[in-house]
Amino acid sequence: MNTNQETFFETNDNSNLNNNSFGIRAKVIGVGGAGISLVDGLRFDNFDFVDNLIIDVDIKAVADSLASQKLTFGRRHTRGMGTGGDVNLGKRLAEEEKDKIRKELEGVDLVFLLAGLGGGVGGGAAPVVARLAREHGALVFAFTPLPFSWEKTRHAQAEECLSELRKHANAVIPLPNDSLLQMGGEDSTALECFAEAGRNVSRGIAAICNIVFKKGMIDVDFSYLRKVFSGRGGRTLFGYGKGSGKEGLREALRDLLVCPMLHMPDVSKAADILLIFIQGGTSLSMSGLQSVSKEIRDSFKAGEDVVFGAHVDENLGEEVKITILGVTSLDPLVPTADVAPVAQQVLELGKNAKQSHRSKLEITNTSPEKTSSMATRKKRGRNIDNKEQNTFFFMEAENQRGIFDDLPSRNMYEGEDLDVPSYLRRGVKIVI
Amino acid sequence: MSKIIGAVEIGTSCAKALVGEVTEGKSLNIVGKSVRKNEGMRKGEIVDFRKVASSVHAALEEAEKMSGTTVDSVYLAQTGAHIKGSFLRGSANVASPDGRVSVDDLQTAANEAKRKQPASGRSYVHHVRMPIQLDGRSVEDPVGMIGKKVELIYWSIEGDESAIRMNLDLAHNYGLEVADLILSSIASSTMVAGPDLRRAGVLVIDLGAGVTDLALYRNGNVAYTGVIPVGGDHLTGDLSMGLRVLEPYAEELKLEYGKAQSDPSDADQQLWIIGNKTIGDRKVPRKTMTDIIHVRVVELFEIISKELGDLLDTSELGAGVLLTGGASRLPGIEQLASKVLGVPVTKANFPSGLGNELAQPENSTVLGLLHYGLEDHGLPGEQHKAVSSGFIKKLGGLIGI
Ligand SMILES: Nc1nc2c(ncn2[C@@H]2O[C@H](COP(=O)(O)OP(=O)(O)OP(=O)(O)O)[C@@H](O)[C@H]2O)c(=O)[nH]1
Ligand SMILES: Nc1ncnc2c1ncn2[C@@H]1O[C@H](COP(=O)(O)OP(=O)(O)OP(=O)(O)O)[C@@H](O)[C@H]1O
Ligand SMILES: [Mg+2]
Ligand SMILES: [Mg+2]
Repeated sequence: MNTNQETFFETNDNSNLNNNSFGIRAKVIGVGGAGISLVDGLRFDNFDFVDNLIIDVDIKAVADSLASQKLTFGRRHTRGMGTGGDVNLGKRLAEEEKDKIRKELEGVDLVFLLAGLGGGVGGGAAPVVARLAREHGALVFAFTPLPFSWEKTRHAQAEECLSELRKHANAVIPLPNDSLLQMGGEDSTALECFAEAGRNVSRGIAAICNIVFKKGMIDVDFSYLRKVFSGRGGRTLFGYGKGSGKEGLREALRDLLVCPMLHMPDVSKAADILLIFIQGGTSLSMSGLQSVSKEIRDSFKAGEDVVFGAHVDENLGEEVKITILGVTSLDPLVPTADVAPVAQQVLELGKNAKQSHRSKLEITNTSPEKTSSMATRKKRGRNIDNKEQNTFFFMEAENQRGIFDDLPSRNMYEGEDLDVPSYLRRGVKIVI
Repeated sequence: MSKIIGAVEIGTSCAKALVGEVTEGKSLNIVGKSVRKNEGMRKGEIVDFRKVASSVHAALEEAEKMSGTTVDSVYLAQTGAHIKGSFLRGSANVASPDGRVSVDDLQTAANEAKRKQPASGRSYVHHVRMPIQLDGRSVEDPVGMIGKKVELIYWSIEGDESAIRMNLDLAHNYGLEVADLILSSIASSTMVAGPDLRRAGVLVIDLGAGVTDLALYRNGNVAYTGVIPVGGDHLTGDLSMGLRVLEPYAEELKLEYGKAQSDPSDADQQLWIIGNKTIGDRKVPRKTMTDIIHVRVVELFEIISKELGDLLDTSELGAGVLLTGGASRLPGIEQLASKVLGVPVTKANFPSGLGNELAQPENSTVLGLLHYGLEDHGLPGEQHKAVSSGFIKKLGGLIGI
């Protein structure tokens, strides 16, 4: 059994196939309308050991779903309808009926939480579910669609929910609709964008489940996965690439490095914890995997905490696919600053801004992600002497952040962050 | 005899320093100049004091060395999103029994206008005085004239105290006195929009790396100033993310191939991102690159338009809109700006007499600092600092290196 995968190439004997993940229970949980449609859209043929649960206050949405397990709550307050985007209500109702939710979490070791953070239930109840799941000892990965920039109030609200969720889940992978729209064809619609979110969720869940539950060339067991991801997750990265032919693995690597999911605002450029999953036909070679995995680890400045899995799938023929998921870990001792809702801060500032000519330029407070990058830097610097530490921080600052990422405040104007590329906020398709 | 004075703009991309020599012949001669890359700033604000200090000090040192002299005091530019402007008013009844306006009356009115203190944590950058009103009429110098009441109006600019303090400290740490702190947009417009244009009505937009500085003049007076925390760095950042290339390559691509509006020739043109066609180099469509820039530029001018609101009135802008600052070099930006703003837009020119090396859009602010600083903006009867040291009355001209 390998407890540290650092040596996965050296110890490539059958011991790591001797998987102790037997008996591990995994559950996909969709919360709110978007969460439900993501669960319904999942395509997993060989994962019968993964349960599906959907949770909502909206009776009709729950009834229409194909999921095997269903939970409605809050019926007394909403008479079986949605919350109408009311995050506080979603949160309160989930808290009120948390025992009902807890029951569904009993004995669950691994949770994949899917929720649209722009919704009242998705944004309000999902963090509660994450917290309860953690209290039950589960490892929680969340995949969360974020509203379009033009859904102004929802957008601001979703950011708050994201930082709330990050307090509880081990890793939260945001799926911003703005960016997903970029990935469809020239004239893709919001629907296409949800489909893209669905594909990403499937990729992420499949990569993790394959590594933990299936036998392959290189695997890890659940206890290792749990150990590596046990902290509170900060900013994340998630990407994939594919290639085919003789140079399939290299091609997949090149494709991975330009994966649009890795080039969005707020995506981390480095990972304290990195999961790599490679799938390919019979041509997958140990030496090829070794060099590609090293390049991936270098590209994302991964440390020791790497979960690496590689599987041969004869159906893939000449094709090779890579999926990665990385997390910058938050130091659990660093208290998370309580961030007032962005909208509230804008209002408060607006009250004081006395001008003869009213400007819509406002400065808002600390970005929710700031704590994560600060903690990361702290953690990374720990074993390094002072002088080196300075140069190291300097490089980190250069690399880890998008261009305005290191600033403590967002550049808000009429509810939009001007530091985020205009083409993303305006839904202008970029073809490269 | 002559007097040496310095000017410093700590710009987001570069720290710029000038050394000027004011001769008794009333002309200003620029005898030292230096530009140093600045990596410690974002959007016009200091994020890494030590990095900024080292580039500012290197620039000053080089400029001094070139001039063969040392500077004791400098005019310093101030910008940043925290800067806000508003009108302040103060008035005084003419005190003298004979009804003639005295210097004291003006002082009383000025004190009243300026008595309002900025909120805590804020401090004044400077007050730009409008023409003096004597019983409702504009007069240049009312002292000795007969009237009942004088009124003074200032466009008053305030900003975040600690940001301003840091800016000042950068000069103080080099052992320099700050002769005056001047708003970047006002400095730039002093340089590119002479009195005639200001009388006709003009909007000057300085597109920098980190911020866009605005100054609007009506009837020769400042009517509005503003700072928008968007600049050339945003174009670079958008390109970096959209084309998925590292920032330095994005910047190079922008400088080399950037334009505001795509045209048919872009259609099937591909650009190498690094340019040396080695491993890691790849091609991106030029059309895509132009599109990324285009939406950002459109958005920027839409914001400018919203910020100005009714002030953006063609009938009051006889001289139209002038673009300056490094990012105004972007080909086609004036046409696009004109389309969005609905007002004629041109790239700004410099007064003749400046050498080619100085007459560049990124130098507007630092040149304007010297120009504005040496002009007399005091109240009639007040001693101008430059005047009091016995050098100039009104500046005749500006002469390049
Ligand atoms: N990716 C994706 N996003 C969705 C989908 N449906 C809605 N969204 C996004 O999620 C947000 C709406 O959340 P819902 O899930 O409909 O709301 P809810 O959680 O059910 O909460 P209520 O407000 O009570 O209806 C919006 O911001 C949408 O952009 C979907 O099917 N896929
Ligand atoms: N040809 C060009 N096309 C587009 N942008 C350009 C061009 N030349 C220079 N720039 C941009 O101009 C900017 C620098 O301008 P400038 O020196 O006026 O700014 P700054 O004074 O350093 O910054 P700020 O005033 O915002 O603090 C950079 O963003 C640079 O990329
Ligand atoms: Mg709903
Ligand atoms: Mg400038």
